[in-house]
Amino acid sequence: MALRSQERSEQYGLSKQKAALSTHSKHRDELFHKKHAVFFKRVLQVLPSQQLDTHRVSLAYFAISGLDLLDSLNDIESDRERIIEWIYSLQVQPNESGSNLNQCGFRGCPMLGHAYDTEQAKFQSIPYDSSNIAMTYTALATLLILGDDLSRVHKKAVLQGVKSLQQPNGSFVSVLEGSEYDMRFVYCASCICYMLNDWSGMDVDKAVSYIVQSLSYEGAFGQRPYNEAHGGSTFCAVGSLILMDRLHVALSESQLSALRRWLLHRQDAGFTGRPNKTADTCYSFWVGAALEMLGVLDLTHVTFNRSFVLSAQEPIVGGFSKYPDHPPDPLHSYLGLAGLSLIGEPNINPIYPALNISQRAYDHLMNLHRQWEDERSH
Amino acid sequence: MSEGSSDDTNTQDAWVSFKDRPEWSDVKPIPQDDGPHPVVQIAYTDQFKEVFDYFRAMVAADEKSERSLKLTREAAELNPANYSVWNYRRNILSELNKDLRAELKYISQVIEDNPKNYQVWHHRRVIVEWLEDPKEELHFTEKILQDDAKNYHAWQHRQWCIQQFSLWDKELAYVEKLLKEDFRNNSAWNQRHFIINNTTGFTSEVVEKELKFTQDYIRKAPNNESAWNYMKGVLSDRKLSEFPSVMDFCLELYRKEIRSPFLMACMIDSYEEMLEQGKPKKEENLQRATQLCNELAEEYDTLRREYWQYMSRSLASKYGTDVSGDS
Repeated sequence: MALRSQERSEQYGLSKQKAALSTHSKHRDELFHKKHAVFFKRVLQVLPSQQLDTHRVSLAYFAISGLDLLDSLNDIESDRERIIEWIYSLQVQPNESGSNLNQCGFRGCPMLGHAYDTEQAKFQSIPYDSSNIAMTYTALATLLILGDDLSRVHKKAVLQGVKSLQQPNGSFVSVLEGSEYDMRFVYCASCICYMLNDWSGMDVDKAVSYIVQSLSYEGAFGQRPYNEAHGGSTFCAVGSLILMDRLHVALSESQLSALRRWLLHRQDAGFTGRPNKTADTCYSFWVGAALEMLGVLDLTHVTFNRSFVLSAQEPIVGGFSKYPDHPPDPLHSYLGLAGLSLIGEPNINPIYPALNISQRAYDHLMNLHRQWEDERSH
Repeated sequence: MSEGSSDDTNTQDAWVSFKDRPEWSDVKPIPQDDGPHPVVQIAYTDQFKEVFDYFRAMVAADEKSERSLKLTREAAELNPANYSVWNYRRNILSELNKDLRAELKYISQVIEDNPKNYQVWHHRRVIVEWLEDPKEELHFTEKILQDDAKNYHAWQHRQWCIQQFSLWDKELAYVEKLLKEDFRNNSAWNQRHFIINNTTGFTSEVVEKELKFTQDYIRKAPNNESAWNYMKGVLSDRKLSEFPSVMDFCLELYRKEIRSPFLMACMIDSYEEMLEQGKPKKEENLQRATQLCNELAEEYDTLRREYWQYMSRSLASKYGTDVSGDS
C-alpha cells in the first residue's frame, strides 16, 4: 500500500524535506553574513514590487532590524539621521483642535499626498490619510533600533489612534477607515502600548478575552475565534499576552502544556505553520519565538532547524527565501535571521522575541522607560 | 472586458496616458512628496506614477464620480494591497449607488488573481454585508479552495458567511467531500469542528459519532496529526476515562505494531489523566507512560527527543513515589 509506506517514512522522521536537506546543507552550512548585509542595504534603496508601496515602513524595519541582528548597523551610520527623519515625516500629527487624534500614529508611505515637511503637513487634512497600526508598530521599532529616543513621537495621540482601532470584540483593525480585524493587529497594538509604556491605548481585558476565544481545539491560536490554529497568529497571541504580562492569568497550566506540544510538533526539519503543511523559513521565528516565550525552545532539534534555515539562503545576492531554492524576499530574510538568533547562531545578535527587536534595542527601550519615569516623578 | 461592470476601463488594452484623456484635462495631478532621502523606494513604472498622481488629486478633492470610480479600478489593478484605494472606492460606490452585484463580480476576478491578499477579501466581505445576500459565497470560496484547499483567507470568509447568514446545513457534507479528497487537510478538520460546535454541539452522542468517524481516518493513516488533533478536540474538556473506547482504540493500534508518535502521545495523555485522577495501579500507569516517552525519545520521534525526555521527567517528578530520594 502506497499510503502505508508514506506513513512509515514519516513515522521515522524521514520526510522529503529532511532528505533534501542533506544535499542542500553540503554547500550552505554557514551563514552568508556579508551577503545578507548587502541584501538588506539594497532593500533600503529600491524595491521592484509596486504591491509593497503602502507598507514601506515595515520593509525598512525588516532591513534595519536585520542589519542590527547582523551587527552591521554601522554600514548605514551615515544614513541614520535621514532614515529617522523619513520615518518621522510619516507620523500623522495631531491638529490644533485635536479633532484628528483617532487618526494618529504612523503611515507606511506618503502615497496619499501629505507633505514631507512636518510643519507643512501639520496643516493638511487629506481624506483617508490615517495611520496604520502595523506601520506604527514597525516605525516605533525602527526608531528604537536606530537609537532614537522617541521624543518626537506624539505619544498620547498615538495611543488614542490605537485605541480607536479596537473593536467591540476586543480585536483590532489596522486603519480607522476600516479593514479586516485579526490577531496580527492585537499584537501590533500590544507592542505599541508596551513600547510607549502606557496601556491606555487599549482595553486590555477585552483584548485578552479575544485572544482566549481564538484558542482553537488544537491547543494553539487562530487569527479569529474558530479559525484554524496557525503559527503566525499563535506568535501574535503569545507575544501579546507576554507584553501584557497576562500569560499565566489567561491560560491554565493544561492549556499551556497543550500549546507547547502543538508548537513543538510544528518542527519537521524547519517549522511549519500548521499541521500537514510544509516547513517555511518564517516559522523558525514565529514558532521558535513562541516556544522561547513559553520557556521551551531548548526542547527543539536545533541542528535540523538551523540547517533548514541556512538551506533557504540565497548564495549569490543574499537574503533568505520561504523554501530552499526560491527567490529571497525581505520578510523571510529578516525572519530567517531572527530564527537563527533565537537559537544562538554565532555572529548574530540576540533577539528579544516578544517585540521582535534585538536585545540591544530592547535595553535601549528600557533605559528610555526609566528616563520617562524619572521625568514623570520630578 | 467583463459585462455588467459599470466602470470598465481600457486597462486590458494598451494603457493611455491621462494627458491623452480629455475627460481628465481639468485635473491637476499631485506628485508624491517623498522628501530628499526616501527610504525603501519603490521602482514605480511611469504608468503607476501617473495613475497615483491623479489618484491623489481625486482624493484631495474627495471627488465621488464615475471617473474617480474608474480611477480606483486602475489604481487597484496596479496595487491591490492598497487599502486606501479600496476604502475610497467603497465610498464612491455607496455615494453613486452603484450596482453591487457588478462589484461582486469584479472583486471575484480580482480575488482569483490575488487569492492571498487581505485587502481584496475585506472588500468582498463589505460588499456582501451591503448586499445582505451570501448566495454566491459558498460557491465562490469553493472555487478558490479548489486551487488551494488550505487558503486561510477563503476559510475565514467562508466561516464568516456561514455564521452571519446561518448557512450551516450543507457544510458538513462539503467538509466530508474535502476529507475524502485529502484527509490531511487540517483546514477541513477545523471546519468540521467549527460546524459541530455551532450546531449540535459536542453532546455525548455526537462525541461517540465523531470518535468513530475520526478513528476510521486514523486507521487509514495513523500518522495524520490533523485527525489526532481533531479527536483530542472532540473530547476537549471531557475526561478520556468517560470514553474508554479511546484507549481501546489506541491499544488496538499499538498491538498491531503501529508506533505513530500521535498514537503514543494519546496513550501517554490517557495514563497521565488516570494518574491525575488518582486511579488505581498508579505505579504501573506511570511506568507505562514514561516507557512510551522513552520509546518516542529513543526511536519513534527522535526529532522531539528533548521534549519526550522532558515529559518523562516531569511525569516522574509529579507522580513518582519519592522512594529513590533520601533512602
